[in-house]
Amino acid sequence: MFENVIDGIFSAVFVAAILRVTTPILLPSLGALISEKAGVLNIGLEGMMLSAAFTGVVVSAYSQDWFGFETGVAIGPWLGLLLGVCVSLLLAFVLALFHLDLKGDLFLSGIALNIFGSSATVAIMYELTGDRGNTSTLASLQMPFIQLPEFFREIPLIGGFFFDVFDNQSMMTWVAFIAVFIVAFVLYRTPFGMHLRAVGENPEAAASVGINVKRIRYFALLISGFFAGLGGIHISMGYLQLFQRDMTNGRGFIALVTPSLGGGTPVGTMIASSIFGFFDALGIRIGSLEIPSQLPQSIPYFATVLALVIYALQRRISQRVSEMRTASGAGFDAAFWGSIQRISILHMLLMMVAVIGVVTSGAILSAPNGFGGADTAVPAGLLIGAASIILFLIGLPFVRDIFSIQRNWKASALVTILSLGIYLTLFLTLFFEPLLALGIALVLSALVWYMIGGRVLMRGD
Amino acid sequence: MTDTRKEAPDQPLSGAPLLRKHLLLIVGGAAGLIVTLFVMNTLFDGSLEKMTGTTDWRNILLVNALVGACIFLFVVELRRGAIRVLLTVIVALLLGFLVTFVFNLDAADRFARGEFRVQVVSDAEPTANDDVDLRFNRVRGGDFNKPNVVEPLSEVAWTFAGADGDLVSLLAYAKNRRSEVDLLVELRDDAGTVLAAATSATETQVEEKFDDLVSVKDAVIEGYELPADGVYTLYAKPEEIATGTVLSEALSQSQLAFEALLLGPIERVNRWGVWIQDAITLILLGMSFAIVFRAQQFSLGAEGQLYFGALVSGIIALNSPHVPGVILIPFIILASGTAGFVYGLIPGALKAYLGANELVSTLMLNVVATRFFEMVLNFQLKPPDAGYVASAKFTENAVLPVIVDKTQVTVAVFLLVVVVFLSWLLIRRTPLGYEIRIIGSNLRFANYGGVNSRRTIMLVMAIGGIVAGLAGMHLANGIHRQLILNISFALAFEGVVVALLARLNVLVVPFTGLLYAYLRAGAQFMERDANVSFEVVRMIQAIIILLITAEALVTFFQARQKRADIDETGHTVESLEGADG
Repeated sequence: MFENVIDGIFSAVFVAAILRVTTPILLPSLGALISEKAGVLNIGLEGMMLSAAFTGVVVSAYSQDWFGFETGVAIGPWLGLLLGVCVSLLLAFVLALFHLDLKGDLFLSGIALNIFGSSATVAIMYELTGDRGNTSTLASLQMPFIQLPEFFREIPLIGGFFFDVFDNQSMMTWVAFIAVFIVAFVLYRTPFGMHLRAVGENPEAAASVGINVKRIRYFALLISGFFAGLGGIHISMGYLQLFQRDMTNGRGFIALVTPSLGGGTPVGTMIASSIFGFFDALGIRIGSLEIPSQLPQSIPYFATVLALVIYALQRRISQRVSEMRTASGAGFDAAFWGSIQRISILHMLLMMVAVIGVVTSGAILSAPNGFGGADTAVPAGLLIGAASIILFLIGLPFVRDIFSIQRNWKASALVTILSLGIYLTLFLTLFFEPLLALGIALVLSALVWYMIGGRVLMRGD
Repeated sequence: MTDTRKEAPDQPLSGAPLLRKHLLLIVGGAAGLIVTLFVMNTLFDGSLEKMTGTTDWRNILLVNALVGACIFLFVVELRRGAIRVLLTVIVALLLGFLVTFVFNLDAADRFARGEFRVQVVSDAEPTANDDVDLRFNRVRGGDFNKPNVVEPLSEVAWTFAGADGDLVSLLAYAKNRRSEVDLLVELRDDAGTVLAAATSATETQVEEKFDDLVSVKDAVIEGYELPADGVYTLYAKPEEIATGTVLSEALSQSQLAFEALLLGPIERVNRWGVWIQDAITLILLGMSFAIVFRAQQFSLGAEGQLYFGALVSGIIALNSPHVPGVILIPFIILASGTAGFVYGLIPGALKAYLGANELVSTLMLNVVATRFFEMVLNFQLKPPDAGYVASAKFTENAVLPVIVDKTQVTVAVFLLVVVVFLSWLLIRRTPLGYEIRIIGSNLRFANYGGVNSRRTIMLVMAIGGIVAGLAGMHLANGIHRQLILNISFALAFEGVVVALLARLNVLVVPFTGLLYAYLRAGAQFMERDANVSFEVVRMIQAIIILLITAEALVTFFQARQKRADIDETGHTVESLEGADG
């Protein structure tokens, strides 16, 4: 069973699935990135996505009535795309109007738009179809899929894998990933992008050099509405051909975090979105195991919280190191402190795994019937919980203070190698005998520790 | 702590004449009294015997008196701001009416849709001609326009054979009382010439002569004498609808819908109960948001905290069937509050000590809590033989005691009074509340003034969690009396509106909660009575938020009364200066 899942994860099909589920996160994330760069984070992405998704479905379905079947099928998706994005832009305009001109609170106006998007789509759907769950009675259309030319398959070594991943992906997936680079170009290589970043960083300063802050922010919100619209269209017309109530399922909110996880850059945002895509796809994969589906379903959300924590901790550590660099001037040993920093990040990641372990054991203990009955689940849950708590506690001192790594690097090394070793052992037992797995895992962990910075610490001693 | 006195409602404003203070109290008291009397009057049709004949009428009166008290607090606390809140609600309702009107533009369609039948009634002998398919006195056409056909049937024609001098009556009528189709009937001869036509029936025809007729909208040609032997055609179709009819129908339907929305909840005691029980949950949630938002923390964690509160109280309820209620209920209340506290502490700590964005973390934790709730419910609490995902019904000792018969209005009313009082005490009369308000006004200033802002931010989110956990307890042990999937039905976001309408004033939250629950209860009856989707009310909600936050919309209004409202939001510079001194 586990082997199937593991095999599945390393297949081209799985990578293709990641791209597919990343698209509806990536598109609104780009919107969130641009609005955040201009200092007006668009909270209303969810509502805009829903409105666009719904409009696209309705327009593409009715275009067959309006223009006849043949023409309707040909232009329906494009008309749906156009009008869906227009509706999203309209909502973005309303948000901009209420925030920038009528001085409404950005956060609350955004929430209002989310409520509006969720309710108006359902109300109109009920009027049109008599159903308030989905639009399955409407014959809506799909955005085209892009087939790769066969010769890509002929490329040696990677050709087959490459072909399997990229062939037959929705047009919107290509749009999303290409848009990353367009956004990067606009943000960093055009005057508009420079003004936009200036407005976000310091509106007063930007205004003082003659930039029209309000106009830039209007544009930023409209662009974010544009991307939210594309994302919405992908959700209802990319792989599905229907609209379900609240089908964005929180993606508009996930999109609010990805820019900050990605370090505020378009490419970073893409990577952060892909991580969510990975967890999403993994959740679908793990669904085939006999554990409650709610556990994998909550992984992306829990991962977001952990990612927020890691991001905050990491930022704090870099800050402390850079403070030290300023303080000590020329005597600063950059290589040494760089190693410390990397090891502390490793400590944090291991702590997070321990937290996941605690949560998993909590889940197992609260619903043992979902994990094969109380007789096996309770001891297993207790074991996982106890081990995780111990690993958490021994790692805690090193996360709280990076100087403790410097002072006590041997203990830190022991903790890292032990924790990493245990997690790796769990993974390797899928392929090897338990004892052999433990041996390999410990060697690998020691190697990891040595590579990312241990050698510098050892030398320094 | 001098500023706390300044914000208290019963203190005259500097320079305001004494009369004005009393006037405010009088106006507030009168408004409260009028509403209480109005609700009681509508509930019991103005009959004193009917009221005293109802079980628990004293408790109904008590709850309605509390409703009046909420209105009193609303007027006294917000002063002229109350007018703005009311105006916003009215404007949003008008826009909602417009939306309903647009949705009802197809209301007149029901005259063109609906099943109908045709019949030829005659005393004459049927002819021997079997080629024609309609015999005298035989009902035909029951299959026209099934309830959910997409295209209404444009016309039907049936032929029958008749002899010279036969007296025939031609009927086209709705199949049942639900079908409101408006019909036209014609008698045509072989060549297609119209011999007679009718578009309606008279009252006497409907009441006495023809049993099958449903209403005057059916069409009858009565007692027509056939001019010759031959084959005739009975031609029937739904009447054309004039534009005027379309508009007036849409209008009257929308009026019907809004009547259900605005008066539905106080029509009968059981409907009134729906309003009150929903209001209790909403007020608790609104209170949770009001406390958290007061410190400028945009935490939306109430949903997850609600789920945890419900889960914990549900588990306790299911596991203690023999503990007397007097001990069990307070314990459940404490436990659910603690659960909410803990689940609120997590995002609070993340925000305070790590700077993690509370909006994002709470939204994510909400989903985690919901999934966790589903998992425990599905795999642990659901009885093995249950057909759908829900826990067993709670035993009587674990259910909050009902105080009004035939409703689910429970002792939670008193719990609510306590919660409101404690929240007011916390925000207005304790050092912690003072710190919360300072942080809400200006975080930098708070830090400068020596406030431990990290601890306060963490605590304020956890305290909001307590109240949200209680809301979960009320849903589980008061309303549903078991744990069900989607127990919150996205109620938490409605709590945001309640808090905002109250301008984060904990004493006004009860009123706005009642107001909003009234709209929600009305929406249910609107959907039931007038077939207008519940979601229209959520659209109204969105409009209310947009209008209430758009400060610039009311600048012209506020400019005149700036002095009067200076400490209304508690965010202004003056109250800070007062705090400093």
